[in-house]
Parts: sequence; C-alpha cells; structure tokens
Amino acid sequence: MSEAPPETSGNLAVESRAAFAAWVREAPGGRRFAQVLIRRQAPDGYVLCHVDDAGADDLKVYEDPRAARELSKLTEKGEYRPLKSSPNLRRGWQLRVPDDGGLATAMNYLYPAAVVHWHLYREDRLEITHYRQNAARQSGIYKRVQRLSDKGVQNAARACCEDAVCLKKTLWDVDEQLPLEMSRGEGEIPCPEPCSIFVSFARQVRLFEREEKRDLDEIGLSRSEKEDLTTLVRAAATGEMGFTREAEFEEPLNERRLRYRNLTLVPKIAPEAGEG
Amino acid sequence: MKALVIVGHGSHLNEDSSLPVYEHAERIRETGGYDEVVECFWKEEPSMRHVLETVESDEVYVVPAFISEGYFTQQVIPREFGLEGPVTKKGSKTVHYAGPLGTFEKMADVILERIEDLMRDKDVSEGRTALVLLGHGTAMNKNSSGVIYLNAERIRARGGYDLVVEAFLDQDPEVGEVVGSVEAENVILIPVFIAEGWHTRETIPEDLGLTGEVTRRGDRTIFYGAPVGTHPSMAGLIAARARELEGQVVGSAS
Repeated sequence: MSEAPPETSGNLAVESRAAFAAWVREAPGGRRFAQVLIRRQAPDGYVLCHVDDAGADDLKVYEDPRAARELSKLTEKGEYRPLKSSPNLRRGWQLRVPDDGGLATAMNYLYPAAVVHWHLYREDRLEITHYRQNAARQSGIYKRVQRLSDKGVQNAARACCEDAVCLKKTLWDVDEQLPLEMSRGEGEIPCPEPCSIFVSFARQVRLFEREEKRDLDEIGLSRSEKEDLTTLVRAAATGEMGFTREAEFEEPLNERRLRYRNLTLVPKIAPEAGEG
Repeated sequence: MKALVIVGHGSHLNEDSSLPVYEHAERIRETGGYDEVVECFWKEEPSMRHVLETVESDEVYVVPAFISEGYFTQQVIPREFGLEGPVTKKGSKTVHYAGPLGTFEKMADVILERIEDLMRDKDVSEGRTALVLLGHGTAMNKNSSGVIYLNAERIRARGGYDLVVEAFLDQDPEVGEVVGSVEAENVILIPVFIAEGWHTRETIPEDLGLTGEVTRRGDRTIFYGAPVGTHPSMAGLIAARARELEGQVVGSAS
C-alpha cells in the first residue's frame, strides 16, 4: 500500500521561514547550517557563504536569492551535484539577500525543503517515513528495493548516508521495530525519509544481494565484486584513480559503492582487518 | 495565494534534465499570475513528496513537465503527491493536478515554433519536405507513443509539409528506418522530448550519423532540431495548462 505524504498546514512555510530567520538573527556570529554560514546583515538582510569562507574577503558577491540554485549545482571541480546535502558545496561566493523571504528562497535552493524539516523537527512534529514504508510504494525499476534484506538496508544506509557523503541527520529506520545501526550525523538538517538517491543505491545493493545467492566463485566472490576489485587495482596502477559521478552506482569506482564494498567485501577477504 | 508547482523528471547524473523546468519557472515568475512558482522533481530535490511543505499558498496548481500520458503522470506523480484526482484537498491546501503537456492542444504550436527556429536562415533544397516527429516510445506503454501520433495528426491537419511522419527510439517505426526511407529531399527531425540529454545529444546523432543541425547526405538534407521541451514557449504552455485548472472543485472530472 502507498502512504500519503505529510499533510501541510497553510502557514507551515511561513512559520518555518520566520523560525529559521529568528534562529539566525539571535546568534551574533551567525549560524552554520550544513555547509552554509548565515549571518545577519543590517537592516533586514542576511549574508550567506560557505562555512570555510567565513573570513575570506575575495568572494564573488551575488544578490539574487535564486543565484543559490547555480551556486549549489556543481562542485568545486564542476561536477553535477544530484544531492544538495552532500558535503561538496563549492566555495568562493557570498550571497546577500534582502529579507526573510530571500533567505527562504536561497535556502530552498541550497538545501531543498531543509528549513521546513528543521523547523518541524525542532517542534517534534516531523513525520518520519521508514525504509519499508518508502519501499512499499516504489514501482517500476525500483520495485525490487522491496526485497532488499534488513542487513542490506543497514549497509546501504551506512554507505550512502553517513556524514562523509551526506550531511543530513538520518532519522528513518529500517522499519519501526528495527533501527538503523549507523552514525546518524551531526548536522542540522533532518532526513525524514529515504531520498531518491538512496532508493537508487538500494536498488544497486539489491542487485548485489541477488548475486550473493547464486553467482559466487570458489573463494566466495561475486562477479561484480571481482569487477570492482579489478577496476580499482587497474585505476590505482595506472594513476587514474578517481570517483565516478556521485550517483553512478553501476560503476565500480563510485564512492558510495566502494563504501559499501568496504563494509561487505573487505570483511569477506580479510576478516581480521575489521572495518576500515 | 496561488502557487504553480512544475514537476520535472530530473536526473541523478546530469544537470540538463531539470534545466528547462527551472527556465520555464523563471519565465512564468516574470510574466506573473502566481504568488509562487516552485520546481520539484522525481530524481532531484525538492521531491514531490516534500515540496508542498515549502509552499505558502493554499491554491496549488501542479503541472507535470512531461510529454506523454503514462507511468509518471498517471502513477508516480499522483502517488508521490498523495493526489486523489484532478482536485485534492490536503490540509488547508487545494491541489489541482493537470495532465501531461503533450496532449494539450497548444503543443502543436510549440512544435511548429521549434521548427521555425530551426529552419530560420537554412537553405532548403528543392523537392519535398518531410517532418519527422520523434518520440521515445516504449513497448511497455501504448500511451507513450499516442502523444506523437496525436501531434503529428494535428500538424498534418494544418498542412505545410509534404509528409508528417512519426518515429521512435524504442519502438517501431524506428527513427533510423524512418529517416532513411522517408521520401523527401528535406527531412526535419524534431525530438518531442522535454530536455536535452543522452538521447538528444548522443544516441540520436550517433545512430543517424548527424553532424549538427544540418546534415547533407546524398540528395537528402536532414535538419535536426533541439528538443521541443526546451523551447521558451513551453513556459506559456505550462501556464496555460495551469490556467485551465482554475475553477475545478473537489470531485470534478478531469
């Protein structure tokens, strides 16, 4: 069965915008929100920049709140960012917005829907959709995520959602009875439901699980595990090491995929190594 | 207050997919009519699931930036938004839901504008001119191709081309065969897609051996247009689609 998305009250957007602006205003040094530092600027405005650019004086200045969309689109290296809460926001910019409305617009491009979830979480009103509920409504090529094992969900979440790759605080669990065993993150942005990146990753992990059932060689490695190892060794040997695109999970050198291998393949071939 | 929410497919891999949605939203913001114009996506953020939480307005018009009636417009989008029909009451919000863009009457005008842009200042050889409307198509869903046939028929009825033919990537008639066999000296090939992407930039030109907007091959010239969905006048189509929904009440038919 499919579950309805959270109900919204008419003024939730207004309420959360005001609460967020007040939270920023009451902190003399500004507030850090994921990788953005927000400081008050008299009379009613705000200045936003990358947290690591707090003291920089050579930043490129933008004044349209919607410039935040372009600023959050690509990484420092020019790669597309499909997940805005990945810790790869580029630096070198300063965004000056005139008022609370401008701040809300900018924040919704930098971290979509994050301010409203931050507000609901602080008020203890944020509705959580656990993995199994989310999976139950998937269809088409994503329907197979319904068959992902509990262990698969656990490992996928650790590979895909920890602070090293996503700054949101993971609040959902496998289901109501089975909590995720992971570091849920220290960030300000709550994550109430598996996102589309996670569902796509879960689909890939489910494909790995299917291999585990039938395609293992004499030392217990699956075809894709060997492919990943081979590609990794080759890349390192030729000096061409580099991650593939962030959500290109079918490629061996994808960061989240390698994080998953670190959790599942490394213990298989070197049980004494523990988790690295 | 009134909000227009434009729903795009979006992509985990490239920025091209969502770009037209952002651009059309910006155009509609400039022309006015809505207190808020908001973008959301299937594969990008904000998700359809959570976008309404960020919308201030109580009157919400949801328009999918999708060409065809099918899996997304009939199943995924209503499910993710929690819609019950053309009009859904959600808390204090009334959410109106439009069908896809491709079936809308004005779609043929946008296609013709796209052709006009492509053919401006181009040398057309003497002889017949064929228009090939290219859809993705899929053997999985008949509706996917229906919109191509529908618009081909509309343009045929208006005249202007010796031939108007349909072609697809993933079903018959296959585009390579159509472009290779259509009896015309000039072939205008228009992808009826919503955004630039892997198909429009790579697979189609490669499979057909196209060298750019104009490819001359023997006595035939192929003119290859940008996708219909990136044309600026799509913004007008989206706005018109939303306007059509005004006045609908809960329980009304689509």
